[in-house]
Amino acid sequence: MFGSARSKLKAWIVGGMGTVAALAVGGALGVFDALEKPVVLLEPGQPVETGPWEVRPLRAYAVEKGVYGLPLKAGEKALVFEAEMTNRTALSSKNYFTTFQSTGGTDDKPYVVLVRDSSMAPALQPGLPERMAYVWGLPAGATPPDRFVLAVNGQIYKRRDNLYGVPGWYNEHVIGTVAMPVGAGPDTPDAKP
Amino acid sequence: MMRRIANIAVLLVAALLCYGMQTTKPHYADLTAPIPVYGKIQDTLRTRTFDIAVDKVAFARTLKLNRFGQQKLLTSGGVWAIVTAKLNARDRSTMVAAATWQGPDGLNYRASERVSLAAGALPVALDPGVAGKTRLVFEVLPSQVTGATLSVSGKLAGPLDSEARIALGSVAVQADGLPEGTIETYELGETF
Repeated sequence: MFGSARSKLKAWIVGGMGTVAALAVGGALGVFDALEKPVVLLEPGQPVETGPWEVRPLRAYAVEKGVYGLPLKAGEKALVFEAEMTNRTALSSKNYFTTFQSTGGTDDKPYVVLVRDSSMAPALQPGLPERMAYVWGLPAGATPPDRFVLAVNGQIYKRRDNLYGVPGWYNEHVIGTVAMPVGAGPDTPDAKP
Repeated sequence: MMRRIANIAVLLVAALLCYGMQTTKPHYADLTAPIPVYGKIQDTLRTRTFDIAVDKVAFARTLKLNRFGQQKLLTSGGVWAIVTAKLNARDRSTMVAAATWQGPDGLNYRASERVSLAAGALPVALDPGVAGKTRLVFEVLPSQVTGATLSVSGKLAGPLDSEARIALGSVAVQADGLPEGTIETYELGETF
């Protein structure tokens, strides 16, 4: 009887050690994850590699009239951000909607336009740099800010994803933020590198 | 004791076997890939759902296109490649929906979405016995022109379905780096 109690105790201790170890590892990982990482500040005009794209933030400006074929009603305002983007992957792609994200003060989602001919969100071809315009609507009554702060997001390449075993770009993460001075209109010059 | 060692040995052999199969056997994506049908320009390729014969390939710096009643001149940072092909359904009505220009360096250019409103652009609906045709427009790097392969398939993602792969052959290069015979403006008219 005592023998069986001892083996039970042993099993409890072994099981408990495993649980404690798992909790400790999980907690440590959580702590490292939660540590404040310093935000990388990116310069306007400088090329940034995000993984699938090489981007160069060029200029930002506010408009009160339609731009690149996007209509604006009277009284509506929008913030336009332009960047040069090069597809670094081996396949035509339009995986750029979340590459630049507004950090506040605008509508959530931008319209993305190819500046060359005002096409709405076409896939960009590998190796061909294109100038793209991201247009965020501003809430009614809001005045455009002096500086427009954007988060630049990147992704990592996986040769095989866990579900289908196919290659792709996953795990979107913030690479840094770029503060663009906001010009008065479409004549705003590009940021010099 | 011997039993324990034997158990460990069996475990190791199993692990080794699994690792060996993982590294040598084809992966899911390869096993379910499209089944290619190979050919070259002017050949008639017979895929499961349609026949295709590429007529010719033209190159241009700019495209002229009527978009919503407006004349548009489409420029490119690379070069426009325009492929015209004859299509035929096999034994039932079908669609041809995807085309990819694969350059010699393995860069894959999907048919350009900037000209998706032009006549003859994909997707094209086909009926058996009715001659169909398509005009595929690609925007490619000049370095990806010679030795390219054109892939045409019925669906954008067609696992285990057949896909036509047409070798487009070598193209000489002009002094300005563009392919031989590049014209200034190609007009994407209603007829082709």
